[in-house]
Amino acid sequence: MHDLLVTWLGVIVVAAPTVQVLILGGCALAGLALPERVIGRLVQTCMFTGLGASLGMLALMLTFGTRMEILSLGNWVDIPEYHFMLRFEFDRLSIPFALLTFALCGTVGAFANRYMHREPGYARFFCVYALFVFGMIIATLAGSIETLFAGWEMVGLSSALLVAFFHERPSPARNGLRVWSVYRVSDAALLLASIALHHVVGSGDFGHILENRSWPDGHAASAITPQLAFLVGLLLLLSAMGKSALVPFSGWLPRAMEGPTPSSAVFYGALSVHLGAFLLLRFSPLLDVSPGLAITTTVIGVATTVLASLAGRVQTDIKSALSFASMAQVGLIVAEIGLGLRYFALVHILGHACYRTLQFLRAPTLLHDYSLIENAMGQRVRNSQGSFDASRVRPGLSRWLYRFSLERGYLDALLTDYIVRPMLGLFRTCERWERQWTALLSGRRIESPRPDLPTGPEDFR
Amino acid sequence: MIRQISRLLPAQGPITAFVFLNTLEGLEHLPFDAGVEEGARLFGCQPYLDEDFYREQIKRGRISPDGLREALRDDLGDAGTTRVIQRTTRYELRLAMLTTRLRVGRASELRWFVAETNALNEFRAEAPAAKVQEILSETKRWALSAFAPPGERPSASFDAETEARLETVFAGLPERFGRTRMGQWTEATWVKFSLQSLWRMCRAGVEAIGVPYPETGLPPRLRDLLLRETQEDVDVFVHETLVRFCAAFTDQGFARWELPDREAGMFQAFCATYGQGFGPPDLLFQGLGAELVRVRAAGLTPLETIHESLDLLGVPESEWRERITAKLIALRGWAGLIHQMDVRSDRVARPVPKDSLIEFLALRLVLERVACLNLAKSRLGFSGSLADLRARLLVRYRDSRQADVEPCAFELYQLAQLFGWSAGELFELSTEEWQQLVREVDGFRPLDRQKILHHAYEAHFRTRALDAVALHGRSRSPGACSAVDPSGLTAPAFQAAFCIDSREESLRRYIEEVCPTAETLGVAGFFGIPIYFRGIAEANYSTLCPVVIRPKHWVTEEPIYTLEEQHQRRARTRQMIGTATHRLHVGSRGAAGAALLTMGVGVLASIPLVFRVLFPRLTARIRKRATNWVNAPNQTRLRIERVATEPGPAQSQIGFTVDEMATMSARTLRDMGLTTSFARIVLFFGHGSFCLNNPHKSAYDCGACSGSMGGANARTLAMMLNDPRVREKIAREGIVNIPATTHFVGALHNTCNDTFTYYDLDLLPQSHRDAFEAARLTMDKAAKLNAQERCRRFDSAALNLSPEAAHRHVDGRSEDLAQTRPEYGNSTNALAVVGRRERTRGLYLDRRSFLISYDPTQDDAEYTTLGRLLGAVVPVCEGINLQYYFSRVDSTGWGCGSKLPHNVTSLLGVMDGSASDMRMGLPWQGVDIHEPMRLLFVIESVPEAIEKIMGRNEQVRQIISNGWVQLALLSPTGDELLLYRKGQFEPYSLHAEHLPQVASSREWYRGVREHLEFCELTGATGTVSRP
Repeated sequence: MHDLLVTWLGVIVVAAPTVQVLILGGCALAGLALPERVIGRLVQTCMFTGLGASLGMLALMLTFGTRMEILSLGNWVDIPEYHFMLRFEFDRLSIPFALLTFALCGTVGAFANRYMHREPGYARFFCVYALFVFGMIIATLAGSIETLFAGWEMVGLSSALLVAFFHERPSPARNGLRVWSVYRVSDAALLLASIALHHVVGSGDFGHILENRSWPDGHAASAITPQLAFLVGLLLLLSAMGKSALVPFSGWLPRAMEGPTPSSAVFYGALSVHLGAFLLLRFSPLLDVSPGLAITTTVIGVATTVLASLAGRVQTDIKSALSFASMAQVGLIVAEIGLGLRYFALVHILGHACYRTLQFLRAPTLLHDYSLIENAMGQRVRNSQGSFDASRVRPGLSRWLYRFSLERGYLDALLTDYIVRPMLGLFRTCERWERQWTALLSGRRIESPRPDLPTGPEDFR
Repeated sequence: MIRQISRLLPAQGPITAFVFLNTLEGLEHLPFDAGVEEGARLFGCQPYLDEDFYREQIKRGRISPDGLREALRDDLGDAGTTRVIQRTTRYELRLAMLTTRLRVGRASELRWFVAETNALNEFRAEAPAAKVQEILSETKRWALSAFAPPGERPSASFDAETEARLETVFAGLPERFGRTRMGQWTEATWVKFSLQSLWRMCRAGVEAIGVPYPETGLPPRLRDLLLRETQEDVDVFVHETLVRFCAAFTDQGFARWELPDREAGMFQAFCATYGQGFGPPDLLFQGLGAELVRVRAAGLTPLETIHESLDLLGVPESEWRERITAKLIALRGWAGLIHQMDVRSDRVARPVPKDSLIEFLALRLVLERVACLNLAKSRLGFSGSLADLRARLLVRYRDSRQADVEPCAFELYQLAQLFGWSAGELFELSTEEWQQLVREVDGFRPLDRQKILHHAYEAHFRTRALDAVALHGRSRSPGACSAVDPSGLTAPAFQAAFCIDSREESLRRYIEEVCPTAETLGVAGFFGIPIYFRGIAEANYSTLCPVVIRPKHWVTEEPIYTLEEQHQRRARTRQMIGTATHRLHVGSRGAAGAALLTMGVGVLASIPLVFRVLFPRLTARIRKRATNWVNAPNQTRLRIERVATEPGPAQSQIGFTVDEMATMSARTLRDMGLTTSFARIVLFFGHGSFCLNNPHKSAYDCGACSGSMGGANARTLAMMLNDPRVREKIAREGIVNIPATTHFVGALHNTCNDTFTYYDLDLLPQSHRDAFEAARLTMDKAAKLNAQERCRRFDSAALNLSPEAAHRHVDGRSEDLAQTRPEYGNSTNALAVVGRRERTRGLYLDRRSFLISYDPTQDDAEYTTLGRLLGAVVPVCEGINLQYYFSRVDSTGWGCGSKLPHNVTSLLGVMDGSASDMRMGLPWQGVDIHEPMRLLFVIESVPEAIEKIMGRNEQVRQIISNGWVQLALLSPTGDELLLYRKGQFEPYSLHAEHLPQVASSREWYRGVREHLEFCELTGATGTVSRP
């Protein structure tokens, strides 16, 4: 009876977003234009079903006193060196995340249903949105690192696509691409980590890596030495840094505010931005093994918080201000994880997600809210407490700090000019070498890469 | 010069006081068509909708074929008969180009199209069969003589030169189909051959004479040249920094830290902040700090810096104007905002120093030249001066410019099929004839086509509207339509005056439907009382009058004396709550406070989140209940009588003297023609819109009150007129004799959820209660019917809602956080009627008309009243109409695009997404159902009056004679109309014979979401006859 219930509820939790993405995606592929009403209904139904089933699962676990339920959908690949098992874990970490996902996505879905009314990209929005929910559920419930990676990728893809939702203007497309490239770095790190774990433990299942204990009592498999834990942990940390906009990747978060308000709310106020923290929580036993890793995590978290609260202080638009506020909290959460305060971090994530989503959804009402506050207070509202006075420390320091904050800690510029540009230069050089080499081999003349330009940069010197 | 250019910038200040002005006000000295074209060139926007839209309208009958022909004939004048080619006139050619969707595109696209589709194998579907046959037989005849093997040629062969030309143009073509068997070619082969030879001919013909390069837009900036060379856009970098800095500079107090040295002005502040060491490491801004230090050390004023920068950029003085225009327009939202904050410093809490626009320009130029220099250095390896760089790039740019042949040739090819021109016929044209042909085709640019299509689009509506007004006048029986008994013996049940706003048209119609003895009037929504007003629970004064006026009087709302103590107590409580909310608001964005907050109660935020989103109406009701105990007492009075001699904001200076009251109120009454037949109850309705999640809320409020709610003006006017001293004074001066039995009531109409708030009802005499109750019942009924009619426009409301359900629906919209279209504002406005209501009463005007009450019989010989009215109404209505027009024709260019990614910035306006130009204009969600047309004024007057007024008022003259509005005159004595065209009044002849008649509005619009024709309401059950 218990097992049957677990299987059924588990399947429903996973199936609800799957069905949603299949229907919406399938219709888009087949060129069927569903009416807005139908899409709205479908999203509501799926979210409600998923939420109900997750609550059922929670109730079940509370009734039976189990701390971890596993839904296994069989071995999909099984060869001597490798197996891939589709496995979902319901435990004290994943259940709250799943509940949060369904509840927020359901509410924001209902919001978007009216907000996006008559928008040409209505169906596209909900298609990508469904992909996001699907990815989010897969990633949070994943029982193996491969499954988690699959969900992780879908979250990243949908996120970048929604940033670039208004692709008729250049700036969303540009910023979407920037988000996407940071995500790729983070994806690559996660992939490397998973390969490394496979190599060491021989399996990507959390059961093996974390010794079959329910969260947060798991501890790293005995094969993982502190040094290994540090290395693998660094890779995981790197991917979390990309996903959660930690220093030095923070620059993309305010830029991600190009999409429609509801997607900004649910992605960057609530779910997507916490996914990195979730990953760290999932692998928190590694932190126990390696104090160095724990310290690094804490330092990065704190650095993010400091930068974000500095930059947040000078923001003049509501969405950037909110995104830096989010970033500051995510930094704190990561620092908490580094310090081993796991339940603390979990509660922090849940509270922060709900609160920030509400704030994001209310962002366009800012002027209205301000006039209410002003009328109540009977005077003009000013958030400013004057400019920060650091001139006692060093003259000009306050100005310097202001500019530092206004330019968001120069992180974007540093990344672009000192990482991206040299990399691009390197690739271009390689490309040129390759062309020269093939030209040499085939005996052809080297053609100018852009034949429409009569002369190259040379004649400018 | 900069000041002149600044007239082109958007005149929108803070978004909380949305300003409806003509987007191209700076170009009003030009005629409309020239103006929009120039605007389009300067701003890089679309002046009209695209051709496909208009062609779709032709298909749907919204543009009539006759109208289109007339518009074209109008445009061509006598030149229409010029021959393009022997048997085709220019008129015919242009008509074909207007009605047919020709495939156009870039050369590469067309090459692909020709190669990959059946374009060269089949005739176009629209080509008339007769013309196809003509081409086929002509080609057959010609090809057999030109290409058949020598022995088979029917006639004498061509001379050597022609032979050579044939060979180059058609090389290999006959061979492809088998030249030797030409006689036995099937019909299908001939079709292919005809078309392919035609295409070859068109291409060769155009190639031989060349196509002039289309000169579009401004000459290229250095940024454009660099973009071409390096594919990197300097503007992206410059704008990123500039936008961030502008936002910090203009911030009204949103950020926690404010910009250091803000008071020193924009340029100085920037130099101080960015001039220090350890600056941003961006490659493109290397050396920026040093440059700023140099500029600062040299002590250059911003104006001198501009000179220096222009010199360094190598811009010759002759190009300065164009160049500066381009640079200001590149970030026009911010430039315009900064300019407005300077010149209208009374409209913002924290204005900017004088001449900030100049500093903005100086800053922009410095950033631009530093970035250009760095880009040229890093990507082109260029290290000379910018002037040198520009000169070199310009040469290269000019060299590489050449127009492609294909676009023109392909257009010609498609036209040839429509007109039956064959390859042979074209082959025989001389060079001059080819030049003429290409000039004709190429010279009729898309812009010209759009213009004519647009004129036809406007003409269709104009005809319908004028027909309706004229026919209505003919069929109307005086008793049925006029509430006022001509003999003046029986007064109407009540009188209600509304704003001229097109949204009030339907409400007025329903009042008249529900209560045929009621009379309605229309007057600009500030009721002739320009004031600064502060409500009882408000912190700041708002400006309640059109944007062009600066009020001289202040009015405040105060609790009645007995509630003073309660008011103080509640105000203190509110202040406490407000302070706490503000702390929470700021704290939740910090680090430590927010951490405590989110960990402690964060999850609880899900409760308001879920409830507000899923059950907006319920939540709103609960919230109202819950906050009731702290709200200001609802028994209040306006302080309108002044003690001190001079008006001002001090306590004793608030209000008016009795004389001022009498003058102002009498003028308003006279303007709307309310001088006799007063009812017992006269209602004045200001209007405003309550809605959430809407930075553009103010665009839905009263345009005549600078985007605020006009309730206070109506209330003030009612209070003045109820004052016996005022009445006595007015009567003594012989202006208006208000009977003692008349009582005035001020009120506010909430246009979003169609509810009313009546003011000062506690002062209503016992004797007037019944009359008022009856009026109120009528109003409530009319409001529900009005809501029902409005719902037909909302896709998300069912079409069969009952009046009550519709009323609930619009109420839900106003409380919904997720609603981007709480209402449609003045969308669909197209008509403005200035005249007695009797002339339009009983006419279904589909919420498309501004209605301005004016009684020509009461005006003097100098037309003072009409002059005063038009002086206000023409610019205001034109501003609203053109704001909608431009925001609709190019939503991303003139308007502010979609609301969805909007981001409130500096508490002043919205940007798109994370950083962009300040977005001005109306959002797409407010204009998507609008039909962009110039406003059609129908004024009940005579030509002499208009000419006199145009002579007196330059602004009105400019707007009317340059055609920024359309104008027709309705004779005050009959139903003849005069149409103003090209500076003259021409008699207007009717197109329709009779108007459709229906019993009620509901019967006419039921089940329809689209725009409706105008019709006549009989008020009795009649047959519905739709055209």
